[in-house]
Amino acid sequence: MKMFNPSHTTIRILERIALTAGLFAFVLCILIMVNYYQLRRSDPLNTPGIKILVERLNSNPEDEQLKQQIRELDLLARKAFFTNRWQIKTGGYLLIFTIFVLVSSLKTIELIKPRLPVLPSDEKETFWNNRLLNRKWLSYSGIGLLVFALVFAFLSYRQLGKTLELSATNPAAAKGENTESVSPTANQTGAVSDSSSVSDTASATATAAWASWDELKQNFPGFRGPGGNGIAFQKNIPVQWDGKSGKNIKWKTAVPLTGYNSPVVWREKVFLSGANNSKREVYCYNALDGKLLWTTAIEKIPGSPAASPKVNSETGQAAPTVATNGNLVFAIFANGDIAALSMDGKISWSKNLGLPKNHYGHSSSLLVYQDLVIVQFDQSGNAAVLGLNSTNGEIAWKTSRDVKVSWSSPILVNTGSRFELILVAEPYMISYNPKTGKELWRIESISGEVGPSAAYADGIAYSVNDYSKLAAIKVGSNPTQLWESDEYLSDIPSPLATSSYLFLPTSYGTFVCYDAKDGTKYWEKELGSPTYASPVLVDGKVYQLDKKGVMHIIRPDKVFASIGEPQLGEGSVCTPAFSDGHIFIRGDRNLYCIGK
Amino acid sequence: MKQRIASLILFIFGVLTPYSYGIQRFPKPEFETGYVQPQTSMPSARLEFLAYLDVAVLVLALSIVSWMVLKKRSRTGVFWISMFSLAYFGFYREGCVCSIGSIQNVSLAIFDLSYAIPISVLAFFLIPLIYTLFFGRTFCAAVCPFGAMQDLVAFKPQPIGIRLNTILGILPYLYLGLSVLYAATGTDFIICRYDPFVGIFRLNASFGMFVFAGILLASGVFIARPYCRFLCPYGVILNWFSRFSRRHMSITPSNCIQCRLCENSCPYDAIDIPVQSKDPESKQARVKKLILISLIMPLMIVAGAYAGLILHEPLAGIHSKVKLAKQVLNPPKDTKLADTFEMQAFKSSGKPQAQVYQEALLVLNKYKQASMILGGFLGLVFSLLIAGRMLKKYNPDYTPNKGRCFSCGRCMDFCPIKPGS
Ligand code: SF4
Repeated sequence: MKMFNPSHTTIRILERIALTAGLFAFVLCILIMVNYYQLRRSDPLNTPGIKILVERLNSNPEDEQLKQQIRELDLLARKAFFTNRWQIKTGGYLLIFTIFVLVSSLKTIELIKPRLPVLPSDEKETFWNNRLLNRKWLSYSGIGLLVFALVFAFLSYRQLGKTLELSATNPAAAKGENTESVSPTANQTGAVSDSSSVSDTASATATAAWASWDELKQNFPGFRGPGGNGIAFQKNIPVQWDGKSGKNIKWKTAVPLTGYNSPVVWREKVFLSGANNSKREVYCYNALDGKLLWTTAIEKIPGSPAASPKVNSETGQAAPTVATNGNLVFAIFANGDIAALSMDGKISWSKNLGLPKNHYGHSSSLLVYQDLVIVQFDQSGNAAVLGLNSTNGEIAWKTSRDVKVSWSSPILVNTGSRFELILVAEPYMISYNPKTGKELWRIESISGEVGPSAAYADGIAYSVNDYSKLAAIKVGSNPTQLWESDEYLSDIPSPLATSSYLFLPTSYGTFVCYDAKDGTKYWEKELGSPTYASPVLVDGKVYQLDKKGVMHIIRPDKVFASIGEPQLGEGSVCTPAFSDGHIFIRGDRNLYCIGK
Repeated sequence: MKQRIASLILFIFGVLTPYSYGIQRFPKPEFETGYVQPQTSMPSARLEFLAYLDVAVLVLALSIVSWMVLKKRSRTGVFWISMFSLAYFGFYREGCVCSIGSIQNVSLAIFDLSYAIPISVLAFFLIPLIYTLFFGRTFCAAVCPFGAMQDLVAFKPQPIGIRLNTILGILPYLYLGLSVLYAATGTDFIICRYDPFVGIFRLNASFGMFVFAGILLASGVFIARPYCRFLCPYGVILNWFSRFSRRHMSITPSNCIQCRLCENSCPYDAIDIPVQSKDPESKQARVKKLILISLIMPLMIVAGAYAGLILHEPLAGIHSKVKLAKQVLNPPKDTKLADTFEMQAFKSSGKPQAQVYQEALLVLNKYKQASMILGGFLGLVFSLLIAGRMLKKYNPDYTPNKGRCFSCGRCMDFCPIKPGS
């Protein structure tokens, strides 16, 4: 007689439960998969049936019945979608429950009927064999992995690094232009890009007396680069040097007379000016070896005042940076003397614009535009902006300005449909047609003794001054203020704008980055020293020199990222100039060329 | 002054935050159908002390398991603790924080000083290692919820053969290397991204991950603990530490009588069988091989580093900056594919292309070094593993392999010698 064995029965029951649960789980899995597939394919918002009805409704918008029909169909499609989702979710829970039942019953079986030891077959001593096999297969897999790596690397070899390097230095040449962002300023060209909608007539007559925009871009023709907007187009700019040890310093030359103006570069020539109370000079250095090629004294100019004006020691007699168009170099001094010199130092024309009534000393830098030299001549009482004919110095146009005295410099930008000259002085930011001097628009945006120049990118111009505010102005015939901030303000260095960011250095040494469009402050950085020089964006990096001569190289990004902080070993208040592979910095006493 | 005012305002808001409530940004639409709008609810942040509670539970669970394995020698105890861990660290804590993933936080913290690693994460990384150093891999036995889940389904474990075991055994090293590489370079936390079990714990697995987890668990019925043995990167570190464990569990409580009853009891092939015979290879041949391997070792490291170097570009391919630069450089012809979120963000930011390329280049340069280190590491691992298989290993008794054994305690039940007998 068969004995009744309770554990045997329990095991059989449990086995049945497990089998049922297993089968159920399997079916559930299949159902969930099918449902999932259906859900992925369904798009309740774009059902073909509804689409047809909507099209029909478009031609007959008053058809109420049709509307009702669409609504019902839409509700149905949505219901189907959500039912599908509910099914998957509920199915998932059910599956988990079923698996729980399956596992529990199997575990219980294990508990009731423990696994018995299985006596191994008698093939002993496989250990040494196994070890040998193990070694062999380890070697095989190592070799296999290596071969796989080599083959994979070979198949996926795209020279990505090289392509990126090439494209980074020449993004326009790279494929896949950021078409949506090629607004006039969306790329690094920042100030004045070569938007085809704005024809730089200069390019058409590049052989004429003035330089084309392309030529200006290839050089560093004035204060803060071409257009004076703090954006330069040179490449391979060094990020490491040390003035003390001479590391990466190509040459260093003493500058005879003091001047707080910045260097300007045209091909192999670097220009500067310097002055004291009795002398005014323009210097030309060989960019390759730092040799002083010529010095030209600006003297005996008709109408020039007998004595130099009294100026603030931080401004000096030669604060404005010279400008060049490749044919002539233009220089202006605190006494109102302005001169044009040929590239080999001969005076082409010179004149005196009248002693500027400026209590710190005139400091606005010159700007070249086609055949004109632009002078921002803001003084107490009689402020004006002038366009001088670059070949003979005659006044091509002169526009009076109802503003207070200022120390800022003009910037020239392409706003998409035209070139505009943007000037800031209390109380306005004013835009002029650079060709005729005709005012285009103005907006009240600034007050006080304005030192920083404007910055511009992507349809927004920025003005800033201490005890005033930082204002972002949407340019156009009806300029509007987009945002403002008064947390950080500058009285000397100028801001730098890209289409994404606004960088603001302050003279007390804080460097701040804002969102260009809405003024959100992304970050601020204490530079560790006061800062008079203005930042320049070049080679994808921002170069900001502080008064101690430390160059803060910063990645233009939402988060602060320093690329380097190389030291000049000499103080400086001047904005650096650039040529391919080189930086030119005017220190307190010397002119430096950094690079190989 | 301004900054002080700003800080004061921040402080006030900070204090008020817990009391603030969510408000609707736009008025809710009104329906005529009688549909009732659900209430807006905001999940509250997890209280900080709960993170410490997790650490406390970890320590407690580790202590109890170690005691169960080493003192009580109770497989049943280990099983029930593993069920608790599965419930607590798995379904309640939804698989996070976890020691396996903490490798990435630690790597990132080492290489990116601006990253502050949470104390609880560091604790989850270190505490199991410390316990392993004393008691073997008791963490794997019953505290790790991933292990517990696989252990639960290991019903019909089959030996998988020496070849497959060797080849698959390489994968954890590879995975460890890759996850450290991607975490250290700030690219991604791949362990978390491709975690097959978290989706189950949270009941929100994507379809792909659901299938992956399903395959792993289904294969786990026959190949016990496939993730632990052939993928888990934390297991690699635990394996190293466990080799030096002071008090590892033993199969027999007393002297092994070599009855062979436990020989096939381990579902994880982790029992070292006693070897009586002499190594058939002569001592001379072995010494020769050892010299050879010590010569080949640097070569293997260099070969690995070279493989890493040539692979650095594909490896960097998943970094968001490189991905974007590639898309900008060669936008896919299919406009649907080209219109990724990243591309949209890039276009609307107006960021210069040159900057995108520059940033990608910086990443690539970082990868050059990192991939070489990864390759060199793998070369070293291979050479050490091969060398390890050459060293004489005399094993008089049936013992768990200290590196591979999960201290699950199954084999103990197969030993006929009982404590005190
Ligand atoms: S305790 Fe025993 S059965 Fe468990 S893994 Fe270690 S050797 Fe294998």
